Amino acid sequence: MATPLPSNHRRWVLLLVAAQMLFILAVAAAGYATTVYGRVVTLRTLPVDPRDLLYGDYVRLNYTISQVPIALWQEISLPRRRQAVYVVLRPAGEMYEAVRVFAQEPMEVPADQIVLRGWIADRYRRSLHIRYNLERYYVPEGKGKELERKGRRHTMLVRVSIAPWGQARITEAQVQP
Amino acid sequence: MSRKFLETESPKWVEQGIINAEQQQKLLGLYPPDEKAIGLLPLLGSLLVGLSVLSLVAANWQGLPETLRLGILLSSLAGSYAAGEHFLRRGNHSLGIGLVGLGLILFGAAIILVSQMYQLIGYDVTGLVAWAVAATALTYLYQSRALFIMTVVISCIVQGYNTGQLGAFSYATAAFTAFTLGYYWWRHPDALLGTVLSVGLLWQAGLLVSFLHIKITWFFVGAMLIYTLGDWQTDRPAGRAMQGPPIAAAFLFMLGLAIFGEAGSYTDMLRPPLLAYLAALGGVFALSLVAKRKRGRLGGATDWLLLLPGFYLPGGLPLAIAALVVLYAYTGTLLWRAHQEQNPDRVTLGTVLFILTTAVAYFKLTWGFMDKSLFFLLGGVLLLGLSWYLQRRAAQTLASEATDKPRS
Repeated sequence: MATPLPSNHRRWVLLLVAAQMLFILAVAAAGYATTVYGRVVTLRTLPVDPRDLLYGDYVRLNYTISQVPIALWQEISLPRRRQAVYVVLRPAGEMYEAVRVFAQEPMEVPADQIVLRGWIADRYRRSLHIRYNLERYYVPEGKGKELERKGRRHTMLVRVSIAPWGQARITEAQVQP
Repeated sequence: MSRKFLETESPKWVEQGIINAEQQQKLLGLYPPDEKAIGLLPLLGSLLVGLSVLSLVAANWQGLPETLRLGILLSSLAGSYAAGEHFLRRGNHSLGIGLVGLGLILFGAAIILVSQMYQLIGYDVTGLVAWAVAATALTYLYQSRALFIMTVVISCIVQGYNTGQLGAFSYATAAFTAFTLGYYWWRHPDALLGTVLSVGLLWQAGLLVSFLHIKITWFFVGAMLIYTLGDWQTDRPAGRAMQGPPIAAAFLFMLGLAIFGEAGSYTDMLRPPLLAYLAALGGVFALSLVAKRKRGRLGGATDWLLLLPGFYLPGGLPLAIAALVVLYAYTGTLLWRAHQEQNPDRVTLGTVLFILTTAVAYFKLTWGFMDKSLFFLLGGVLLLGLSWYLQRRAAQTLASEATDKPRS
């Protein structure tokens, strides 16, 4: 048997549970805020295998900006695996492409460009493989079937909201016509 | 003594006239039948109902509207805390704490599921750190060992995710875990909690070493700092439990060096700048010695023999032999002290470690040039002889302890 609980125990429990519930609501609010205040960029993926959808509720996405030439690396020190990086994106037509990669958050970028955070997944001789944690798209109900019906490998266009404070989220994903 | 034992044995005692039937009933009355068994059926039933609800929700999770999903998460969170509180007040401690623990797990799950729901990307561990903080607060609030262990595990998961996935080390999480849980253990000394916390802190130290890309031997500065915490603890069993994992880690490391030390390919991962390493380790050693002196246990300083930096010797055979010397120094003094203290557990441990070291030494030093049949024959004879001798010593020690005791 544990020691008897102190008299103000109930108040502390209430406080703690309320704090936990508020925290979860705050996570949800962060999701909404990212959409409302974020700037939308469109990214193109490499072809997605529709069979992936059969195995779970998400698809693995591989973006054109997932693989960047090592020449974009702006630092003197060599990039390390699992290191956090800041990728500067610039619009090229409708889509955004990576133009520079920093180890520290760049102070200022031109108005048409935007910073997306990521991690170095692998380092090759000529290129860097960057992971953005945007690689898993949880397919909304019904959408998966539609993708499967098309029955061939296709690229996808993914709209990503990037909030001014750096938070990013996928807001929409569609098959490129 | 259990009631079951009494029920089966006491009729014989009555038969043999040791006790009479009335005394038998009185004895049985001292051990009322367990009431928990009766409460088990409703518990199992509600568990099944809960599982069916869970699978129903999980199967349709993606199809539910976002607000409903949020509502389900929040209400099950609040529900399990409320139920836990209810059972605790009714005096059903284990079920109550179990439900509070479930609430804690649901909190972690809710953080992950909600961020997944909004396709949010975690750039840092703020979300998961909140989980560890909530776990710590619950540990203090309910003074529960189970919650303490959960908190250690959660903070290990948080730090592991941070280093593995996000490529960062959260010093705040490590310090927070060490201070809050360390303080809890300090005030409520406990052997099991000591070991669990020690393993958790070793894990964090290991992650820090891998994150900083420094020589792996720096790990032992952290490990011995944890060991030293055990020295300062006034409750001896709790302190000893805290010291077990760091010593085990140091022993296994040395054993590994003795076995694979010859390869030499990784020896450059072992050697930090000599002066800095020795200064840091020496500082911890001094702290440990002061504590041992204060608590009157200077004999325990022989544990530090395992930390002799034999790995500064050049790779190859010298390194392996240096590791063996360190191992022998440690196990030898361990055995010697165990015999002096006449501590049977220590004698057994010392014997096993000594024989293990001898087996490694023999394998290492003679495998290369000795005929294989002769190798196994001699090795077998050596180990048998050694174990016979050590067991005889142990038997003598314990016998003299048994004859000493009645007199004192």
